[in-house]
Amino acid sequence: MLEIANLSVNYGRVRALDGVDLTIKGAGALHGIIGPNGAGKSTLLDAVTGRRPPSGGAVRYRGQDITRKSVAWRRRHGMSRSFQRTSIFQDLSVREQLTLIARHLGDATLGDVIDAMNLGDYLDEKAGRIAYGVQRRVDVALALIGRPDLLLMDEPGAGLSAEETLNLFLHLRDLVRERGMAAVVVEHDVDAVFACCDVVTVLDLGRHLATGTPAEIRADARVISAYLGSAA
Amino acid sequence: MIALLIANSLALASLLIMLSSGLALIYGLRDVINFGHGALYMLGAYLGYSIALAGGFWLALLVSPLLLAGLGIAFEYWVLRPLRGRSHIEVALVTLGLGIILGQALIFVYGGEARGVDAPAALAGSVRLFGLSYPLYRIFLIAMGLGSCAALALWLRYSTSGLYVRAVSQDPSVARMMGVNADRLSLLVTSLSAAFAGVAGVLAGPYLSVDPGMDVSMIVNCLIIVVIGGTGSIAGAIVAALLFGFVQVAGSVFLPDLAALAPYVLLFVVLLIAPRGIGRGRAPA
Amino acid sequence: MSGGTARVDARGGALFAGGAPARAPLFVLLAALLFGLGAFVPTHLLSEFALRIGAGGLLLGMLALSVAFLMSQAGLVALGAASVYGGVGYLFAICLSEWDLSPTAALLFAFVAVVVYSAALGALIVRTNPLAFMMLTLAAGEMIGHSVMLEGLRDYTSGADGLVVNFKGAVFGLTSADFANATQFWPIAWSAAWLLGLAAFAVRRSRFGATLRAIRENEERMRFSGFGTYLPRLAAFVFVNAIAGVCGLLHVLNSGFVSPESLGLSVSTNALVAALIGGVAGSIGPIAGGFLFAVAQDQFGAHGFTQLLTGFAIVVFIVLLPRGVVGGLIEAARRGARRGTR
Repeated sequence: MLEIANLSVNYGRVRALDGVDLTIKGAGALHGIIGPNGAGKSTLLDAVTGRRPPSGGAVRYRGQDITRKSVAWRRRHGMSRSFQRTSIFQDLSVREQLTLIARHLGDATLGDVIDAMNLGDYLDEKAGRIAYGVQRRVDVALALIGRPDLLLMDEPGAGLSAEETLNLFLHLRDLVRERGMAAVVVEHDVDAVFACCDVVTVLDLGRHLATGTPAEIRADARVISAYLGSAA
Repeated sequence: MIALLIANSLALASLLIMLSSGLALIYGLRDVINFGHGALYMLGAYLGYSIALAGGFWLALLVSPLLLAGLGIAFEYWVLRPLRGRSHIEVALVTLGLGIILGQALIFVYGGEARGVDAPAALAGSVRLFGLSYPLYRIFLIAMGLGSCAALALWLRYSTSGLYVRAVSQDPSVARMMGVNADRLSLLVTSLSAAFAGVAGVLAGPYLSVDPGMDVSMIVNCLIIVVIGGTGSIAGAIVAALLFGFVQVAGSVFLPDLAALAPYVLLFVVLLIAPRGIGRGRAPA
Repeated sequence: MSGGTARVDARGGALFAGGAPARAPLFVLLAALLFGLGAFVPTHLLSEFALRIGAGGLLLGMLALSVAFLMSQAGLVALGAASVYGGVGYLFAICLSEWDLSPTAALLFAFVAVVVYSAALGALIVRTNPLAFMMLTLAAGEMIGHSVMLEGLRDYTSGADGLVVNFKGAVFGLTSADFANATQFWPIAWSAAWLLGLAAFAVRRSRFGATLRAIRENEERMRFSGFGTYLPRLAAFVFVNAIAGVCGLLHVLNSGFVSPESLGLSVSTNALVAALIGGVAGSIGPIAGGFLFAVAQDQFGAHGFTQLLTGFAIVVFIVLLPRGVVGGLIEAARRGARRGTR
């Protein structure tokens, strides 16, 4: 479904991403991306979602080259993203912001999203006034509207405890299976990733290091020396 | 003829560089536009006029910037710091209000007519350059402009505070994380910016004039230059000031009836071609 | 439903979560009564002079509405509102004198011209960040100001002297003399204020309004939610300039005169101050602010002093009273009412 070909992103003279090749196959799969700080994980998401124009390479979505397409275009065509630093509408109520997006994307199944993210109790609260964990769920909910085929998430576990992150990932895995969508999740919490993801990719210093099942990655010598150490 | 055109452009650009770089520095550092910058310039000019009457041009050139630097410090402590949590738009509006107050206060004190300031004796008269007779004062003006440009460039390039200013202008979040004392930096930049406005004001006296409308016309010029130059780009502002000076002077020579519109045409043409301005300013958020 | 979140609508009433359907017709009735009374009672009670000040206040209030709407809905401050307000008057005058158009045709032409101008200007400047936008509107406003003073256009604009506007025939059944008459103009200005206020209200309540406010709050998330953010802002800019165009035309019909002062920066800042004083959030605030400003200006007399106070007002209202007078009152009423329903 998503093909990343030789993707590079430069910040001035710094190569944040260096010729990364990656394929995200398809529906029902949870694909985790891990790697040390500065590996380029967030940059990869930025380049794929159109937030940052790549300096080289291409992004192909369902066979079509979307490298030059706008962020809004990608969203309307099924590629959605959630943010590391929760990005919601503080002054609007939860209901208001979800409805605004749902109407725009023509999604009549908003109720499903609200149930899936357990937001029923918070609908009339102003988003700025609810707990951080709930805000994060709103952030994800916004990304789920419109039944996207591909969901990209940037460290959804940031600011959550290990247990909360694991729960989130289990939840994500269920969502992904139920809705038949693909999800690519950049995450620091390696345990949650290994426990729940179907495929894991490791990035290091802007380069693709390895891709495989959690078991394969855990056993991969390169990955161990670069990132996991002997704690894996 | 071309030489004259270039010389006059440089003279005008010299004033504009002194003013716009101050504006651009604050903009790059704090993301704040001081809409009262034109009023500061006007204050510098009127103070220069009064001091010159009492003690001569050179005294004015020394004292006026010092007084304005003091005002800049007051501005930093009493306006910018207390309003730190507010949105940039709100701060900009406050500076607009303060600029209006200052401008009206000056008109109240000095009245509504223009004042003339004579060039000092040492700089009166003309000099022969490239076979043409050119006012010595304007040469002095150009020298001051180039000098301040050079001083600014050297400071930005080689001093620690200059490095910090460049870093924060490029990416405020990163620089702040690295422990740059943004407050002390801001105080330095604000007072320098005000001092330069004072210098420009005094220098403007013998070259343009000292009149009630000068705050508005100058702030508009500076704003155009800062926008053309690009956010946070000092180099861009300097290039833009040179471009502006040239367009304005050339306009008044070749199309005198429409000359007043020349800078605006420049602005909109640049916006069409390069919406982010000329300089390589802040990285997109 | 939790909280009973009270939402304040533009006309200043509060629609409560529980009571809305029952109260609405009563509210509309009250509004209609207020409209009717306001249109005709003052003309019988107040002097010509007072009516003139009042109408001027309403016109400034409508211009303030233009500024306020863009600020509250799009988060953009337009400092060049006077250039459209005065510019439309100039175009009207030129159409009449130079091109001999009928007054109605001249009105239409002038209005369409400023709408096109604001679309073109907006197309260029709406893309920039809000601070740059503010700078650019100031520059554009000054550009128009310089344009009417150009020597090359002196034949059209009469430079600093300004243009006298005197049309023969009728516009919407009213003659030039009718518009100039304070007693007859007051209901016109009053009706226009209500009309524009309601239009602004309707747009605020529409999905377009919600989109604008969401873009203002988190532009990036809107793009990542599939919204284009350029066109809505451009549309908002054209909308507020259309408002400025309408009240500018009313102004020139009433005053019969247009000069560089009509489009000067001080008119733009007056509108801004009026919006800040009244409160930028609704429709009543800015219009009331314009009214207050006009009355205050009449009290304080000298232009210089008024401008000085304008500067103070900007600082005071931004720093201390961000909701403005009317906005603050509405907020207090809302809080009081909420306590009442508990």
